[in-house]
Amino acid sequence: MPAADADRGDRRSGLGLQQRRALNHAAIFLTIVGLWELGSRMGWLDPLFYPRPSNILRSFWLIYIENGNIWPEIYSTASLVLSGFVAGSVLGVSLGALVGLNGMVRRFVKPYVIVLEATPRIAVAPLLIAALGFGASSKIAIIMLVCFFPPFINTLSGVVNVDEQRLELFRSLGASKLQLMRKLVLPDALPVIMAGERLAMTSALSGALVAEFIQRDQGLGALIMTYTRNLNMASSFACIFTLTILGFLIFRFMEWLDRRIAFWNSEEGLQRVGARRRKRMEGLA
Amino acid sequence: MSDRRSSSYALAYWALRALPHLLLLLALLPVWELAVSTGFITSILVPPPSEIIASIWELYVLDGTIYPHFLITLTETVAGFAIGAAVAITLAVCSALSETFKRYVSPYAIVLNVTPGIALTPVVIAWFGYGMGSKVALAAIISFFPIFVNALTGLLQVDRDSEEMFRSLGASDRQAFLKLRVPASLPLVFAGLKIGLTTALIGAVVAEFAQATAGVGVLMNRFSFQLDMGSSIATLLSMTLIGLLLFYAMEFLDDRVVFWRREGRRSVVSRARARRWAAKFGGHESPETEAASSK
Repeated sequence: MPAADADRGDRRSGLGLQQRRALNHAAIFLTIVGLWELGSRMGWLDPLFYPRPSNILRSFWLIYIENGNIWPEIYSTASLVLSGFVAGSVLGVSLGALVGLNGMVRRFVKPYVIVLEATPRIAVAPLLIAALGFGASSKIAIIMLVCFFPPFINTLSGVVNVDEQRLELFRSLGASKLQLMRKLVLPDALPVIMAGERLAMTSALSGALVAEFIQRDQGLGALIMTYTRNLNMASSFACIFTLTILGFLIFRFMEWLDRRIAFWNSEEGLQRVGARRRKRMEGLA
Repeated sequence: MSDRRSSSYALAYWALRALPHLLLLLALLPVWELAVSTGFITSILVPPPSEIIASIWELYVLDGTIYPHFLITLTETVAGFAIGAAVAITLAVCSALSETFKRYVSPYAIVLNVTPGIALTPVVIAWFGYGMGSKVALAAIISFFPIFVNALTGLLQVDRDSEEMFRSLGASDRQAFLKLRVPASLPLVFAGLKIGLTTALIGAVVAEFAQATAGVGVLMNRFSFQLDMGSSIATLLSMTLIGLLLFYAMEFLDDRVVFWRREGRRSVVSRARARRWAAKFGGHESPETEAASSK
């Protein structure tokens, strides 16, 4: 096994495994960046289209600190994403539960869901812009639409796929409908629903970008469009890397939320909440 | 004989199942039409069904304007998907084979994942031009990650017992990879490919929105800006069609390749194999029992 070999090799050398790996990562990264910079300076890569790393760094400095013109755009995009996400996913979860809990409705809604699932949702963007006009409302509508489906479908399937045996147990113990929902269906469905929410959040950012590409008024999407139009590729790459960071933060945030809300889905969360509950019980006793 | 009868039964069964859905749709359409014509819903927001049907008739039958655009978008999607899938699967196989490769490639894959691929649209258009190239490139970039992740996950999850059996029977590393890991990963790989296809379609269409001369995305943009909502929705329908077409093509492929997952397909394939086996080596009078006993 290669991993075992690496372990042995590292024990012989002075550095720890972690440090050596980090060093290797850094070396690879710097080599790529260095080659890129070199290629651009030697004229192998047209700097007009493939910006130099040094220029991208300078653009970061420019748009964040010297001009600071990216902040309002980040704010604009982030607020759109957040409001669209909240509205769309709340709608998705509630409608998903509504449809999922009623077999009749489910049967009649299903074909439409299949058709709508095959449609690329973002493709509706021009239609929504035409219907709602330019401005924030159509952008939010697009994000809502994009955020609606993953939670809707996951809620639907989460609510439907309740464990038969446990359902029987609940019924035979005489659980009320409310108890059934609160203690069985919801805990079972929540991890799936949260997975849908995470998917929705990532697509929300894409939805916002597409809306901004088409409208070209404000937001990070419009900024990237403008910079690329002016062939200021270094700045548009700085914006794209900003989106990388934003995407990463969103990803981390959703992960955190998932662990908080559906804590029983992970060992660590179970222990954390279990300990807290135990303490509360001891206090009562 | 019995096959034909059972298939006609199936048809009747499906017709019976579909009937209430059709009735509901037929009942809803006049209500919708009425709601728009009385001004209850503004026709710009939701066009009446008659307008949509008229546009469909015009675009698909009378003029046939949609077909060249449809083909272009379909080509872009499939080409982008093919490139993205090829790169993703190659990298996934390399990562599965070499721990070191995986360690040093995965950070870049993760960075690519958290970046919304669509953000690259203007840049990709600047790089590859207004033609089909940029659409193919964006489709490839966007479809890469889901395929990569699924393939890698599939290749890395090995059933410990099966692996032990392979080892104890003296299988080489190559055999263990080709005969155990690859088949075991296929269901997940196909799941990834299905996601990749839909994302590839999104990539192609979004790139067409941003800048293009032909394709359903262009058509959609044009109709929307003319406020011709009926035609817009008719165009949207063609995107749904592409999506469904590609999805079911992949589903079909999935069913053929991963034949062992479904009972029906599995018995068909194993019977065919037994027959081929018997024809080659002879001696066995009944391939059916052979197949049954080997299972």
